Amino acid sequence: MEGQDTGGNTYHLRPNYQHKFKPVIVKACIREILREQLSGVQYEPEEVPALSRALAESIKNKLKDAGFERYKFVVQVVIGEQRGEGVKMASRCFWDADTDSYAEDLFMNVSSFYSFSGCLRSGPNEPHA
Amino acid sequence: SVVCVFDPQSSFNPDETTITIKEVNVNIMGRVDYNQQQVNKWTSSICELSLTQLAKQGKPYKYIVNCAVMQKCGAGLHTANSCYWDTAMDGSCTVRWENRTMYCVVCVFAVAI
Repeated sequence: MEGQDTGGNTYHLRPNYQHKFKPVIVKACIREILREQLSGVQYEPEEVPALSRALAESIKNKLKDAGFERYKFVVQVVIGEQRGEGVKMASRCFWDADTDSYAEDLFMNVSSFYSFSGCLRSGPNEPHA
Repeated sequence: SVVCVFDPQSSFNPDETTITIKEVNVNIMGRVDYNQQQVNKWTSSICELSLTQLAKQGKPYKYIVNCAVMQKCGAGLHTANSCYWDTAMDGSCTVRWENRTMYCVVCVFAVAI
């Protein structure tokens, strides 16, 4: 199965236990980025589009360095202004429940709320940004 | 050796997906006003129905569907995505829909198996 002695195929179809996606680690990564980049920031309509894009990029780059081999990442950032409106978000996934998972975090301050999720899946081809 | 062949028939089609999602939105929320008690049911239904329609296409993809429904109150909402994947095979689409009392933003991510 490992193919070490014959020099044959060493292609792993599924990650083993140590290499599986760990939501707790990813949640901690996301939380750290939120705290760093959003503390004291107010909702400014001109700046929010760039801010949300920058946050998504930072989270993705941090995940790339987190050591999840052969995983692809999808990161979504939602920034909303707090004006007493009702908001509901939901997500559903059609994936391999054994290997794939997600992590999310929510950051709220007086003027806005921020929601982040990083989703993961394993694939055979080399992913790239 | 393994060779992965790109077949245009079974690749992710953002335009076709946009049409599918718009139909789902109209189906579920076409005739209703924002209702705090119902919004949970609507977002779940939109996600589940979209996912069912996508899976029915039988393409070799995994999907993530996100749905956000927001009451129209003059507040701003922005979403941004960043993905680390196979740019040749994988894709996404975002569909914005609204009626008199609410906005709905649905994001679909398709990742090739």
